[in-house]
Amino acid sequence: MNRPLSGRVAAQAVLLLNAFLVLAPMVIMGLSAFKSTREIFQNPFGLPGVWRWENFARVWVEAKFALYFRNSILVTMASIIIILILGAMAGYALGRFRFGGNDLLYLYFLSGLMLPIRLGIIPLFILMRNLHLLDTLWALILTYAASGLPSAVFILTGFFRTLPSDLDSAARIDGAGEWLIFQRIMVPLVRPALIIVAVYNLIPVWNDFFFPLVFIQTDRLKTLPLGMTTFFGQYSTDWGALFAGLTLAALPVVTLYALLSQQFIRGLTAGAVKG
Amino acid sequence: MICLLVAGFYPAAATGQQPVKLTFWSWRVEDKWAYDKIIQAFQQRNPGIQVEFVPFKATEYNTILSSALTAGKGPDIIHLRAYGGLETFAAPGYIAQLDFDKLPELKTFSRQLLDGARGRKDGKLYGVPFATQSLVIYYNKKIFAQNNLSVPKTWDEFLTVLKTLKDHGVLPLANGGKEGWTLEVMSGVVAPNFYGGTAFYDAVTRGQTSFKDTAYTNALAKMLDLRPYMHPNFMGVDYTTMQQQFINEQAAMFIGGSWEIGFFKAQNKDLDFDIFVAPPSKAGTTPWVSSYNDGNYGVNAKTPYMDAALKFIQFTATREFGQMFTDMLAQLSAVPGVEVRDPILKHVQELSRKATPYIMLVGFRWQAPTGSTLLQSALQGMMAGSKTPEQVGDEVTKGLSAWFEPFQGR
Amino acid sequence: MRTSRRMWLVFFLGPATVVFATFITYPILSALAFSMYAWEGIGRRGFIGLANFARLFATFPYSGLLVNAFWHNVLVFVVTMLIQNVTALGLAVLLARSPWGTRGYRVVFFLPVMLSLVIVGFLWALFLNPIFGLVNKFLTLAHAGALARPWLGDASTALLTLIVVNAWRWLGFPTIVFLAGINAVPEEYVEAARIDGAGEWDVIRRIIFPLLAPAVTIIVLLTFIGSFNWFELPYIMQGVSGAPNRATDVLSLLFYRTAFGEVDTGLQDIGIGSAIAVLMFALLLTVSAVGAVLLRRREVELA
Repeated sequence: MNRPLSGRVAAQAVLLLNAFLVLAPMVIMGLSAFKSTREIFQNPFGLPGVWRWENFARVWVEAKFALYFRNSILVTMASIIIILILGAMAGYALGRFRFGGNDLLYLYFLSGLMLPIRLGIIPLFILMRNLHLLDTLWALILTYAASGLPSAVFILTGFFRTLPSDLDSAARIDGAGEWLIFQRIMVPLVRPALIIVAVYNLIPVWNDFFFPLVFIQTDRLKTLPLGMTTFFGQYSTDWGALFAGLTLAALPVVTLYALLSQQFIRGLTAGAVKG
Repeated sequence: MICLLVAGFYPAAATGQQPVKLTFWSWRVEDKWAYDKIIQAFQQRNPGIQVEFVPFKATEYNTILSSALTAGKGPDIIHLRAYGGLETFAAPGYIAQLDFDKLPELKTFSRQLLDGARGRKDGKLYGVPFATQSLVIYYNKKIFAQNNLSVPKTWDEFLTVLKTLKDHGVLPLANGGKEGWTLEVMSGVVAPNFYGGTAFYDAVTRGQTSFKDTAYTNALAKMLDLRPYMHPNFMGVDYTTMQQQFINEQAAMFIGGSWEIGFFKAQNKDLDFDIFVAPPSKAGTTPWVSSYNDGNYGVNAKTPYMDAALKFIQFTATREFGQMFTDMLAQLSAVPGVEVRDPILKHVQELSRKATPYIMLVGFRWQAPTGSTLLQSALQGMMAGSKTPEQVGDEVTKGLSAWFEPFQGR
Repeated sequence: MRTSRRMWLVFFLGPATVVFATFITYPILSALAFSMYAWEGIGRRGFIGLANFARLFATFPYSGLLVNAFWHNVLVFVVTMLIQNVTALGLAVLLARSPWGTRGYRVVFFLPVMLSLVIVGFLWALFLNPIFGLVNKFLTLAHAGALARPWLGDASTALLTLIVVNAWRWLGFPTIVFLAGINAVPEEYVEAARIDGAGEWDVIRRIIFPLLAPAVTIIVLLTFIGSFNWFELPYIMQGVSGAPNRATDVLSLLFYRTAFGEVDTGLQDIGIGSAIAVLMFALLLTVSAVGAVLLRRREVELA
């Protein structure tokens, strides 16, 4: 396909400009993290005169970033593990067993794809309070797990349905127990689907700000996005530290993305792109 | 089951061995270093009690505290605001009631301050007042000297000072409008001299007049005189940026509260500054100064460590605490008899003899929508030029009429 | 055998159903009921029918705030469609021709989608600081100092600025979705059109756009849902009151403020908060349902 050179140059110019607009703010963020506040004000675009690594050290230790990271990792891992286990179990039952109400239950889970759970935050808040779960990480884990289930059930049921039916019948004839069939035979076969489910939920859970804002008040239980707001309040005049905090907070996700960009692009657009 | 839960909640009480750990929430992010020191002094005297000071961003504090208390959680010791800000939490029973028997030290506190610690409905005490704040104007002495300026005595002189600074290429006022509450503070400085101070306050809180009164709206209009002397982009200037401009000597004046003194000094030791109060229209009249009880230390009614928490707030009512508080933070402690050593703070104390209640905070924060919420948004409109002072007065009156009966039908 | 099969079904389906029913279905259904009760703090009092709605619609300042916030959500949707999604479509068309570096561009464009909106909001709030921020400094350097302004403090630019920041974060998402949609257009169609003498623009307009309809519907739907759930960015950059003077107030902020406490008092009004939630819920559900039907119909037409 040959197109006129001028057209191709113009296209490259547009694409490069957009790439620049995306990257420039992030590069400036990273560079500013090494500057003093004065330097940021006077020389916002240039390289730092001295590379002040101590900005990061200060943020990591004094501003409790280590703690916020730990909480975020705990919450994200726990939520995803629950989503995967419960989602796979439900998807297996819905995809492999025929029973009355199968379709109805499937649709019931799917309804969760449409319902904006944030609007149920008041009853959820009161429910968590009555369960004595407010201001604990469990409030977050259970909320994320429940809101991740519809997509998990949807994706996994579809996958289980595509598996040939003689697989489990053969095992059943051999006398294998249901749990064994599920765990040893079926789950390994849907591993690609499990990865999609994990990626689909990973970033939204890691980045969520709304539920911690409502559920968590104790500083040492804050996840990274909520901890950022405390940090910004306390260091509001120290721009070097602020940029170091932002850079530090962005780093894990950016690194992970650099390693697995295709999986993330596919996983995050999974709901909107078919196939 | 209940036993298990109780045991789970009161581990220290059950064993009686480990020190009791109290959490203490506050909105005073800037004062953390001082509170940490004060707490150390307390802990030395009370080895069995540890206190952790946890500050939140001021604009988010009430919402966070509200969620925590309704959840049956929250800190043991609570930095509470005063007046309506206290009532919100006291009325539903979240705050432990205090009295002179429990805290005899409170008997010596001034009545006006204690009024800011009482529930409106029951008149009971819910906290130990911690500070009086006055709203003033800070000025950079060096910049004033460089431009041969002296402290203005009248409003017109004030405007001349502002103009001279602007003509000399100096930013006269650090103030901004991105955060509505900083504009409310500005109105608290500028307006009382023009609406007639406490006489108007009494009339409006009794419902004899409203904020549509031209005395009030004309007073608000005086704020517009200041607009040309703020940064051209002042509507985007937030509180932190205001502070930074004054601290870094990029602006000559800062209209704000007496709570800034300590922070300004800590941030720039070479900053040579002082305060004056809003000048009246005529020379020779004593200017009104808006002041109020800034807040109180209270105890969570549900704390498992009631005795320890009471011990701590009892400590905050002592002269020793008051002196440390005043010395370190350069704020006027509510404890009577504290010696003010900081010259600027002393100046604040002298100049605010003719005090008038900070109108919305003291008088109109009892229910939603509060006078402050309404005024802050409306002032942003006024300073941006999209609302007249009369519209501001209308909007505030109309909004308050939702719960303040005397305004209904006005 | 039968009972054991049933037991296994309960074992496999039970946990997911319980978690989903407890933490999603129950709260959402309760939210509808809550709006019909009187509230004192978080204590539920008597049934009052539609009184909360009446209060929301008829009393100042709620009535004004509701309408104000609603129109801001509409504006967010419309402007996002115009600037973010149209740009995304353009970029997708360019990328679909597989120019040099396509893989790299895809990765770069999608990168901000990974970032938390809290990071994005704080970052741009620093950049947009009217005095110390680099946006105004850049404009001054570029001899366009006259354009420098208090982007977030000026009521006429604040919301638009937030929308642009939001678009900076999201742009890669619709770009990838559109790109996938274009790449799914069968090559034979395009070739056939070319043989018939269709120009570049004709191919895009006659072949690609109509076949892109499902992708467009999905993006319109997601943009709508996103616009009406907009919370993080205005909260982080402008605070919970929608400063200045409610110029960036949106329904989610209004909802959060009324339900969890106003800034200066911490006063909660669960009745009004629930009523706002119900209205938002009805709106989102209606639009999602209509969107889903449209999507279904288009897919059928294509098949």
